[in-house]
Order: sequence, then C-alpha cells, then structure tokens
Amino acid sequence: MERPIFQPVGTPEEALDTPALVVDLDVMEQNIDTVHGYFRRVKPDTVTLETEACVRPHVSCHGCPEIMQRQLSSDEGRFDEPASCTGGVAVSGLGEAEVVVGAGINDVLIAGRVVTRPKIARLVALARDNWLFLAVDDLQNVRDISEAATAGDAIVGLLVDVDTGYGHGGVAPGDDALKLAREIEEMPGVALMGLTSYEGPMAIADRSELEAQSRQRLQRLVDTLEMLEQDGLEVQIVSAGSTCNYDVAADISGISEVQAGVYPLMDMETIEVRPELQHAARVLATVISHPVAGRAVVDAGHKTMAPDFGVPTLEGFPGATATRFSAEHGILELEGQATEQLLPNDKVRLIPRNLALCFNQFDYVRAVRDGKLVGYWPISGRGRLG
Amino acid sequence: MQEIYRPQAGTPVEDLDTPCLILDMNALDHNMDVMAGYYEGRHSKLRGHSKNHKTPAIALRQIRRGGTIGGVCAAKVAEAEVMVHGGVPSVFVTSEVVDPAKIQRLCTLAREAEILVACDSEANARDISRAAEAQGVNVGVVIEQETGLVRCGVQEAEPGVALAKLIDSLPGVSFKGIMSHQMMSEPSSDREDRVTEAHRLIQPVLDLREAVLAAGLPVEIISTGETWSYDVAGDMPEVTEIQGGSYLVMETGYEYMPDFHFAGKILSTVISVPQPGVAVGDAGARAVGGLKGLPRVEGRPGVEAVDMDIDRTVFRVDEGIGLRVGDQLTLIPGQQDAMVSRWDRFIGVRNGVVEVVWDIQARGCHN
Repeated sequence: MERPIFQPVGTPEEALDTPALVVDLDVMEQNIDTVHGYFRRVKPDTVTLETEACVRPHVSCHGCPEIMQRQLSSDEGRFDEPASCTGGVAVSGLGEAEVVVGAGINDVLIAGRVVTRPKIARLVALARDNWLFLAVDDLQNVRDISEAATAGDAIVGLLVDVDTGYGHGGVAPGDDALKLAREIEEMPGVALMGLTSYEGPMAIADRSELEAQSRQRLQRLVDTLEMLEQDGLEVQIVSAGSTCNYDVAADISGISEVQAGVYPLMDMETIEVRPELQHAARVLATVISHPVAGRAVVDAGHKTMAPDFGVPTLEGFPGATATRFSAEHGILELEGQATEQLLPNDKVRLIPRNLALCFNQFDYVRAVRDGKLVGYWPISGRGRLG
Repeated sequence: MQEIYRPQAGTPVEDLDTPCLILDMNALDHNMDVMAGYYEGRHSKLRGHSKNHKTPAIALRQIRRGGTIGGVCAAKVAEAEVMVHGGVPSVFVTSEVVDPAKIQRLCTLAREAEILVACDSEANARDISRAAEAQGVNVGVVIEQETGLVRCGVQEAEPGVALAKLIDSLPGVSFKGIMSHQMMSEPSSDREDRVTEAHRLIQPVLDLREAVLAAGLPVEIISTGETWSYDVAGDMPEVTEIQGGSYLVMETGYEYMPDFHFAGKILSTVISVPQPGVAVGDAGARAVGGLKGLPRVEGRPGVEAVDMDIDRTVFRVDEGIGLRVGDQLTLIPGQQDAMVSRWDRFIGVRNGVVEVVWDIQARGCHN
C-alpha cells in the first residue's frame, strides 16, 4: 500500500508530501462538461433521442469511484437536454466490476474475458443483482457461462466482441460475429445484448487521419450490426470508441454508446489528439539532488510514473525536460536559464504519458481545487486485475 | 487499493486465479543461497536492496540464510519504515532525503534501528544533522559518489572530501563512508568483462576513499556493487557492503547472470484464440510491466509475446501447439522491480503448489 502522509484539507498543492498523484478538480469538471456536452447536444433532425449515442465511461484507467461518480452525475439538473450517459460504466475485468458494483453502480460492461471456472462463478453471483454486459468471442466460453448462469438462476448479458482491426482478441466482423450471436440467442442463462469493439489506440494527431481510421474500423462494426438485424436478432447495445475519437464514434449511426475513459483526466498520449481537453492529473515530485549544473533529480522514478509507454512531460518549467526514469529517480535535463535552477526541495509537476499505468502505482488521488487540497480519494480499482 | 486474492496453502498452481504474481520458492532459495554461500567468511557482506521485493518477510529470510550484514537497503523513507517496523535492525536509505518532513521521519526511525542515508550536498547534511540532534538520535551519513549513472552523487573527490569533513564536524550525524551504484554498459556473462567493468566504474569510489583517509577521517563503509558485480565488488578489499537486489526475483534483463534463477513470474490465462497462430493472455503492462520489453513465456517453446497493452499480451503461437482458451502461461518479466511494484502479494509456489503468501508491504511506498 501507498503510505501517504495525510495532510489537512486546504493544504496548498506545493506543500503536499511527494510523490503525490494530484487531480485538479476544476480542469476535470471542465473536461467532463466538454465531452458530455457533446453527447447532450440536441440534434433536431435526429429520429429519436434513443438513437443518440451516450457515453459509457470506461473507468479502468483511473479506478477511482469519486471520479466515476462525477462522470455519471454529469447530467444532473439538466432536465431539458438529452442525457449524455448510459447510466453505466465499462471496466477491463471482473475484479474491477466488483469494485464499481460495490461503489453503487449496477450497470457494468466488462470489456475483458471471463473464462476460468472460479471467475465465471463470481460473474454469475454478480449478475444476479446487477446488469452485466460481458464481451465474448469464444463459443465454448459462452457455453460455460450459459451453464453456470442457468444453474445459478442468473442472466448474464453478452456482447459479441468484434475485432475491427486491433488484433487483440474478438471475432472477425461479419459472418463469424453473426454465428456467435445466433448461438448466444439460443442459449439459456445468457442474453444477447449486442456488439462491442475496441478499435485500438487511436492516438492520431492528424484530425482527418484519425477520423478516416476510426470510421474505417467502426464501419466493420456497423456492417456487422446490420447483418445481425437482418437476421432478426435484436441488438440493444453497440459499444465502441474511446476518448481519442469520441465525437467520430458518436456520430456514426448505429453506435449506441462510446467507451471513453481518459477524458476527465487526460494524459500526454491523448492530449495531442484532443486539444479541447486539458490534463487534470499530474504527479507532484520533489527535487532531491542537483549534482551538477544542467541536471536535477526528482523523487519520482518509474515505480511512480510507470513510463512503459513513454516518459512523462515536465509541466511549466521552460528549459527543463524529463528525460530518464530509473526505479526511484527521475532525471531532468536543464538548459538555458534553467541550468542552475530546480534545487533540492523545489517541486515539479509531471504529466504521465499513460494515465492508466501511472494510476496503477498509487492508492490515493489528492483532489485539489484552486491549488488547495480537497481530499484523498481511494483508487479502489487499483490492483483488482484478477 | 489492494488486490484481495490470497489462496490457501496447498492450492495447485493450475487452480490459481490469474493474473497473479508467483514466486518459485526453489529458485528464490537457490538465489538466496548463492549469496549466502559467496559472502560466508568474506570481509564483504550483502546488504540486500529491499526496493526490489518490498517485503520484510523476504528481507528477513535472506538475513537468516546468511551472507548479509544484518540489514537492508531501502530506496525511500516509507520503504525503510516498512522494513524497520517489520523487524529489520539496520536500514540504509540509498536515495537522498531532502524534504524536512521526510528527514523528521528518517530520524524517528533511528530511534528504533540503525539508519544510514545517502547524501550528496552540504545543505542536506546540515538539515539531517539539525533534525537528528533535535530528536536526540544519530543518523549515519554515506556520501554518494557518481559512477556512471549520470544521476545523483558528488562528481569528484575534492568536493567529496569537503562533504565528509563537514559531516564529521556536525552533531547528530556520523560520517560512515561512501556509496555508489552503477550498471554494466554492455551486459556480459563473461566474468573477465564484469571484473574489468566493475573495477573501471567503482574506481572513483576508491579514489574518494583514499582522499578521505588522507584527510584523516576513517571510512567505515564502502557500499557498492549489485547483482551483476556481486562476486567482483565483493572481492575488492576496500568494499564492505554490496547492494544487490535483482538477484532475488530475477528477470530476462539479468539473464547474463546465470548464477541466479528466475523466481518471480506472472501466471496468466489465455482468454482468446481469435485465429490460428494467435493467442491473447489476461496479463498486460499493469501486471507484468513493459519497461524492458515484452515478457518471455516460460517452458512453452513456440509461444512468443509479440504485443502488449494495458491488460493484455498477444502471443504468436507456432503451428501444431494448439493453445486453447483457459490454458495457463507463465511469464518471465523483462524487469523484475517494475513488475513487483504493481502487486500486493507474492504467491510462493514450490513443486506446483502454494507454499506461502507474502504481503508486499512496501508496494506504493514512494514517499
């Protein structure tokens, strides 16, 4: 466990014990408003509100119920506008689904697989009291779930996971997907709810390229949807998309929900793609050594930042760049007027390259508003990979 | 927060919930015994680095098995707290501790255990001295010498001697010696290469030691060397302690040190076989870590990791292998400490069944 020194509410951010994972609430709320506002927009020429895509926040990237609740309550008080939320969330795995159910959410899409016998038993137990939508891509797996759910007097909602180009699992679009859907339709204990796909990390800075690639992949999902409908299968959910292409996915007819995840907090991977959103999450670190002119070392290394997919970016210090991360040390290279700056006990802010990996190293978010501590929010989903 | 899985002792590996972090107890004991055997009867001793395993149970097990100085290294104050509270009597914090609140905590620990800390600046030495004196404790201060990591540490002998003299003159602190950390520029199994490289890199530490001795100060501790140089630095007459840590859990990055066996692994389950020749497993970067490349699949020729995202690894599977959904795969990490720091428990396995479950108590102890 992380062992943070709990400091009083109102403590200035720079005075927090480091390394500290900080979330700026004003920025986070602005990001939520921006994305949910896009989904709330009224389009008079749309057939019915029911065909409008909603956000299903994918909460695995932060695992923090306090943040999740703020995403889900985005529509509160907006009685004259269409809803932006499905009311449910998406998670990667069963352990995280148990956490969000514990936090009061009874509508959960599980994007990963549940294949082992003990896990299927947990799934069925959870499905008795909650709406679960599990992604599947294997007939034997569906049979196992059907059998366990029937014996356990539960119904598990299933979504056929379609590989639209990412290659990390899923059935091929078209006939293979239709075949699996028909099988599900015939089995007891499971209900065919629809289709899902993760079309892959669409971190493409070029707007038209992002749109073209997203459309190309999502079209395979929509085409599959059409095949299912022509076959007489009832499809309620078509769930895909991400923060990178939320607006593209939302505007494709047939997609009912967009699994955006990183948008409340953002990271360097996504900020380049979505300039209308700002980064709200950062790690506050302390300089512990300035051994020579031109180099400073901070107390946040790879065990804090998890730079597996790229090093974090140092915020707001011209001439200073975060370059290397060993286990417990982050190395800053200093140029120009920064050469002699950043001395021991000075504070810096690091924006993670990948939010999910960075949150995975912490147990608490330090929520901050107007530069002052509001509270410590548990990252309840952390470590629940099983 | 914490993962909650804790299987019963005696559970067969094939019944374990995945992904989970398993520790091959035969390999772990072997690795501990290599160190115990090497340092037995030598002038130098192992001060194992607890940042790698973050687990008092493992630190104390190596101390009981022998070869150690009777203490450990820690990277952070919070890690040192876990080790001291867990019963380790001597802890060397190998990172600079500069924040006043952390210096207070460090001094408080010195009431309960022998505490040593790395230092590379005069202002920091003065801050530690003031806090230690106020608390009525003594903190041992070890000068960090830069030896090729381009990180912290004094760069040359002259400022090192000045810092040693200052520490020696201050109340509440004792000048203890010099430490350094270094990595092989080009990993090599060849002992002669390791001897040459270790001597080249460690030489500045020995130079500083000579200079401090010439200035009339005793040098009690020379702490340097790690897994790749344990049997080289350990043979240097001036070196008193070696800071090895990776040897316990091991990783493919340290395969060039075949004295040690792979002990820490991720047990993963195949969750999808989307097409012939491809399998997808339930462990990704959040489980295994991806800092030094993709993990290796143990004991499964013809199955190779080719891609990894947050929660999945994609494997290329040779024809005729027939991997199925539900099959287990064992993954050896590229970098062990990046893997361990993502878990709350080691599930110790011997001969195919669970023997013990250890809490990784210092996981997340960044501060």
